[in-house]
Amino acid sequence: MKVVSEIEIRPTSVVLNGQPIAVETTGEKMLVELYRRYAGDYPKFFKMDTLSRLGFIAAEILLKEPRAKSQEPTAIILANRSASIKNDTDYLATISDGNYYPSPALFVYTLPNIVTGEIAIRHHIQGETSFYILDAPEQLEQILLSTMSNNLKPSNPQTILAGWCECTEPNNFYAKLQIIWNN
Amino acid sequence: MEQLIEQLKSQIIDALNFEDMTPADIDTDAPLFGEGLGLDSIDALELIMLMDREYGIKLADPKAGKAIFQSVRTMAEYIQANRTK
Amino acid sequence: MVYCVGHSIISPLGDGSQANYEAVQAGRSGLKIHTDRFDSVEPFCASLFDTPQAFVPLCIRSVEEAITNNQSPITNSKDTIFILSTTKGDNLDLITPAKMIAHHFGNPNPPIVVSNACTSGVCAQITAMRLLEAGMYQHAVVVGCDIQTKFIVSGFQAFKALSPEPCLPFSPDRKGLNLGEAAATIVYSQLPMANSQQPLWTLEAGSIHNDANHISAPSRTGEGAYRCLMDVMEGLSPADIDLVGVHGTATLYNDDMERIALERAGLQDTPISALKPFFGHTMGAAGVLETILCAMQANEKMVNNKMVNCIKMLSGFGGVNAAIRIRV
Repeated sequence: MKVVSEIEIRPTSVVLNGQPIAVETTGEKMLVELYRRYAGDYPKFFKMDTLSRLGFIAAEILLKEPRAKSQEPTAIILANRSASIKNDTDYLATISDGNYYPSPALFVYTLPNIVTGEIAIRHHIQGETSFYILDAPEQLEQILLSTMSNNLKPSNPQTILAGWCECTEPNNFYAKLQIIWNN
Repeated sequence: MEQLIEQLKSQIIDALNFEDMTPADIDTDAPLFGEGLGLDSIDALELIMLMDREYGIKLADPKAGKAIFQSVRTMAEYIQANRTK
Repeated sequence: MVYCVGHSIISPLGDGSQANYEAVQAGRSGLKIHTDRFDSVEPFCASLFDTPQAFVPLCIRSVEEAITNNQSPITNSKDTIFILSTTKGDNLDLITPAKMIAHHFGNPNPPIVVSNACTSGVCAQITAMRLLEAGMYQHAVVVGCDIQTKFIVSGFQAFKALSPEPCLPFSPDRKGLNLGEAAATIVYSQLPMANSQQPLWTLEAGSIHNDANHISAPSRTGEGAYRCLMDVMEGLSPADIDLVGVHGTATLYNDDMERIALERAGLQDTPISALKPFFGHTMGAAGVLETILCAMQANEKMVNNKMVNCIKMLSGFGGVNAAIRIRV
């Protein structure tokens, strides 16, 4: 496994392949700022929950990199520790006693793997999408190694967009996404 | 009726998270789905919930929404005729 | 290829794989109309335990039943990995219950939770197969479980996805899905077990594909499901497949999508099994529970001890599809 390209997004900073990207805002506002700078033509972004916006933006920046373009990922494998807890909390507010109007648009995001689907739709990736809940990011490496290990199988991906994508509160999130080659 | 249409446009913008859009940007008679606003199946469900929450209208059969959600005007007409609050 | 060396199902229809299999054979269903559960504003049809079950103890009981056949204790070994398949876990917490289950059995490895919407139970088996085939572990305990809550029921009601009566997969009269509760466990191993009391199988292939089309609406071309079927049939022809366990949620669009994928893969004449009229949609448990019962159904089809091939397929929110092929 070889990491070809990497992005880290925190509420106050963005680092692409070791180089910081200057941002004027923080937290959720920063994700919108990045959307306007790097995408801008995808209004569905504003329908997404914060976890999906985070993963979407990370993928958007990463996949525009020349190094990523030379061999595009055929699979998306992400993980975190808290599943979709931020959006679960938002949905719970719509089914509270006395104000019971469950929101379908929020409910659909109460699954962490929706972010992998959003990235797949945006980049037309029809290979594997998987989401794991792990105690620590280091565990993901073992899963990725085993996923790539038997390259004789037609379904085993050779290039994966992989990493950690976590959002516990509107302004508390962390993403570290990588493009990984199997050679 | 015109007042209801304006109010409904604001509620749709809020409920469906249309960023950077004002009621003036929505054509009262343009199709909500397909071309026009380009809404999808989740948006349709969210509009059903909006009618329940804001106007006390319960729509059990989502297929009935097809006629109601043709445009903001058809939606407002339906609300005018069926609202309970 | 990895070997199933034990399994169990705990559902409202009974305790143990055999009890559940016999219930299905006898045509018994766990589906009932409920009016007084989860503050529901309207009656709903679901397969629920009469006595509400706590998530972790239910999973632990399921694992204990699955390993009763085993001669040697494997659950506390460093060569065993616990993999939990669930969508909402224990009151929205997924990692803590997984750690509690692994800890209960004295397992030293941090567990893995697969949360890939309704495909999780099949994806968890694929994860197990990969880890075993890569030589990282010798055994994998795959537990699938979900229990119903106000959270889930209200969400599916808001999605207008629930049928007011027992669901009818692949029927022209289908009106939607029913929710269900269950825990199911499959233990996979690098080596087969001799002299089993249960029907066992090998897990031969697995595949996961996204439709890349919409986060909740099934693909109109069945693209992801079709690609999964083609992957797991690699090297075989449709005639080699003896049974397909479909997802069969009985929503209008899911079943139509599956039909298209099956036809595209040349499997339109292959017998299918759809189990949700008995158990409802058990979400994180579905892939595990339905694999076990498909294997037991396929076992009945064996003639002169000739092995049979069975495919289990699932699809879920996020546009994800998954399939595995087992040999019984």
